[in-house]
Amino acid sequence: MSRLLLSLRQVEKTYPPTVNPGERFGAFWQLLTRGRSQGGTTVISDVSFDIHAGESMAIIGGNGAGKSTLLKVITGVLAPSSGNIQQSGTVAALLELGAGFDPDYTGLDNLKLNAAFLGLTPADVEKKLDDILAFADIGESIHEPVKHYSSGMVVRLGFAVVASVRPDLLITDEVLAVGDESFQKKCIRWIEDYLESGGTLLMVSHNMYQVQKLCRHALWLHDGMAHAQGDVFDVTQAYLAWHERRDAEDAKRHHGHASANLYGVSELSIGGKAEGEKRLAMGEDLDITLRMRSPDGRAPVALIGVVRADGTPVYGVASDHEDVPVQATADGEFQVRLRFPALSLLPGGYAIRGHAMDPEGLRIHDTAEVEFTVLGRSRELGLVRLEHEWLS
Amino acid sequence: MIRESGLFGQLLRREIRSRFIGSATGWIWLVVTPLLLLAVYAFVFGVIFRARVPEGFELPFWAWLAVALWPWLAFSEGLQRAAASIQQHAALISKVAIPRHLLVNTSVCAVFVLHAVGFVVVLLVIQGLAADIQWIALPYVLLILAVLYLFALGLGFLLASIQVFVRDMEQLLPTALMFWFFLTPIIYPAELLPEAARGLLMLNPMTWWVEELRLALFSGKFLLDQTFLLMVAVATGFLLSGRAVFNRLSPHFEDFL
Repeated sequence: MSRLLLSLRQVEKTYPPTVNPGERFGAFWQLLTRGRSQGGTTVISDVSFDIHAGESMAIIGGNGAGKSTLLKVITGVLAPSSGNIQQSGTVAALLELGAGFDPDYTGLDNLKLNAAFLGLTPADVEKKLDDILAFADIGESIHEPVKHYSSGMVVRLGFAVVASVRPDLLITDEVLAVGDESFQKKCIRWIEDYLESGGTLLMVSHNMYQVQKLCRHALWLHDGMAHAQGDVFDVTQAYLAWHERRDAEDAKRHHGHASANLYGVSELSIGGKAEGEKRLAMGEDLDITLRMRSPDGRAPVALIGVVRADGTPVYGVASDHEDVPVQATADGEFQVRLRFPALSLLPGGYAIRGHAMDPEGLRIHDTAEVEFTVLGRSRELGLVRLEHEWLS
Repeated sequence: MIRESGLFGQLLRREIRSRFIGSATGWIWLVVTPLLLLAVYAFVFGVIFRARVPEGFELPFWAWLAVALWPWLAFSEGLQRAAASIQQHAALISKVAIPRHLLVNTSVCAVFVLHAVGFVVVLLVIQGLAADIQWIALPYVLLILAVLYLFALGLGFLLASIQVFVRDMEQLLPTALMFWFFLTPIIYPAELLPEAARGLLMLNPMTWWVEELRLALFSGKFLLDQTFLLMVAVATGFLLSGRAVFNRLSPHFEDFL
């Protein structure tokens, strides 16, 4: 096993209450006499992991999960409330955009000071200056005060300094996202090269593609606790699946709320079945059944539309446009059936949307969607086949 | 250790430069400001108040005042800068892991360096216009000032730690320092007070510094004695306790900034 660079054991972080002066004074006294203070908000609890030399780990999780706080605790900017952190080797961290930069000083001055923060002596900086400037690639702006820099330039300079240090352990928060396409690529290439040559990486990112590309392990933080940790693909897939489930639940909750006391869609089906993705060949008939609820016994207006898979509307029609009666069913609901004969949609992914509107046809109260795929071999372009004839 | 001293140098340079950044003539003010101040004091105390130096000194009052005033300025300004140093660098502290004691140390050090330049200018003017400076005592004077720096540093650590938690310090400190100024025989000789009050005055450590500096510069005292040991003891005591408090509280600073 290679050298252990970082080891966390049951790390917990609680932000003390700091709003009113009394609490602040109380905390001051408790810290002075007992070394810890009471109360506050716990943002990280019971996080443990090891990072050995040559490993790469990503910390993922939603907003407010404690990712940045965890990085701050690891780098020593924040003290953990309890637990144990052990660290060996050199560490360089890019925690935030422009961290440690003084806006009044020129890029060059800030570069030198930041290099000193990372442990470089002035002689080292002199030696590496050309490399750093070449990597940052911000030209003559290096002699301008940093307050005139764009956020991309700040990141370029910050990363260039860190890159010149080649620490044993590199820690980055979501900072690279600010750079432009070509600089991001340059950074990714540098990190890959750094990892190949034995470097160790701990990063926070919301970009799962980047995470899977750069890291072999991942830690999923949820509400300050390690929800899952291990192989990067297992963890990121579980994380993405969780997000999808949550989005679906949100949609359902929305739906449920809407249907409680308003006009609602109780069922939308095509071709007879309600489940699963439908496939049909171009030119087949498409049958749609929309069942709706009404809170007051009046028949709602049905609106049925076809959209492309990305949401682009293709066609929509409502029952009141064409004075179609919405029929009451035996169990007190309302139903319309619609057929698109000899479907002229070109092959691709589409969805049918069924909306329930109030009887006046003014507002949409509920929506359901069923996806389907049109199969076929056609080289025509666009969405639908329009009637056409070639004239000679 | 090497890393810290390199960082200390960088931070100190930045701290000093930040006073001059943007001002066109920059460093000239280092010399001009003390000269102007000296002229003001000479006018106020020499012409308006017609103040007299205590017996045993043969020199104008402004010269007698100046050798005590500059160390006091360094001391009090050093304390104020130190107290504000952590709060002032909050942005840095919350993003970069640096040894935080360096921020306090560089604040105090920058103030002492700048006032040392002013002090040298003042001494040269006194030598030229008013009285003979006993240059033989220069090593002793430097030693006294170095100990004063340590004293300021120790108190600075204490004040900086407190100010992070209790913001009221910011309001209280200037007033407290002004009170301390008038409790120290800087603009008046200790002999002016009744015998009983003079004993109390000697409980104020700054009195020792002020009187030793005058004795050294004008009477040529250059041997270390009990007073010096006392100064070293007080400075060391404050430095150790100030640093202990600071070390205990500094990991938690970010939570309260």
